[in-house]
Amino acid sequence: MIDPGCGREVFRFRRDSPQLLTVLISDEAIVHTLDIPSELPAAREAELRVLDELKKHTYDETATFAVKLALEESLNNAIKHGNGYDPSKKIRVEFDVDSRRVAITVTDEGGGFDPASIPDPRTDENLEKPSGRGIMLIKAYMDDVRFNERGNQVHMVKRNR
Amino acid sequence: MPKASDRPLEMEVRHQGPAAVICVHGSAGMHDADRMRIAMEDLTTQGAAPIVLDMSDLEFICSAGLGAIIAGYLRSRHYGGDVRLVNPQHAVKKVLETTRLTKLFSIFPTVDSALASS
Repeated sequence: MIDPGCGREVFRFRRDSPQLLTVLISDEAIVHTLDIPSELPAAREAELRVLDELKKHTYDETATFAVKLALEESLNNAIKHGNGYDPSKKIRVEFDVDSRRVAITVTDEGGGFDPASIPDPRTDENLEKPSGRGIMLIKAYMDDVRFNERGNQVHMVKRNR
Repeated sequence: MPKASDRPLEMEVRHQGPAAVICVHGSAGMHDADRMRIAMEDLTTQGAAPIVLDMSDLEFICSAGLGAIIAGYLRSRHYGGDVRLVNPQHAVKKVLETTRLTKLFSIFPTVDSALASS
């Protein structure tokens, strides 16, 4: 459906499926917004949609792996820490992909946290802890990572080599 | 080139003497990590030692998957056992190196070498 007023292409899905809003902002870049419940199956579907967009461009498997990993970590954090596994709380996934880079923003409804307060999982005393590696992996695999002031949103960018 | 797999996690278990070999296939992401943890912990509780995790066909792992392996390792250690990793693919090995878990786990090129190690 084309909105003749502004030339934007907008897609809306049924209420019982994750809501996807797509906005065409240029010939190449399309910003997608996906609101999902805090549940693993919905997170998986969001992940697949981002990776499907990646496939339309020339991203190699190393970059695709990095994006998949960052998505898993950020969505898992949003479900577990941000929204406390409450399926009634939403996670917003915004992403746009072009030939130069992919940008993803994940926002939960939680109170947020201070990324600087997360202990380094690579130290000897933390190596045996089963959790606590998500933020470190996002930072290691994505080229640009920023959190909002509240700490309930992460913006990640991966450049295409 | 590494693959960003979307194959769901599949596991095959075989016993070799006191050891248990778990062949993992596909993707150890957040959706499947708990199954891997449960499998490793159950085998340990049943007396399997060591646990050998054949990662030759594992194409993806995230921190949840790593946590599952660590949980299995902690349970194994509690029972006097060990967890040994075999032949991780390049991308998975890079995750292990990035998280410095190569300091915690011994990595072997083959299942036989992992089983033979004392």
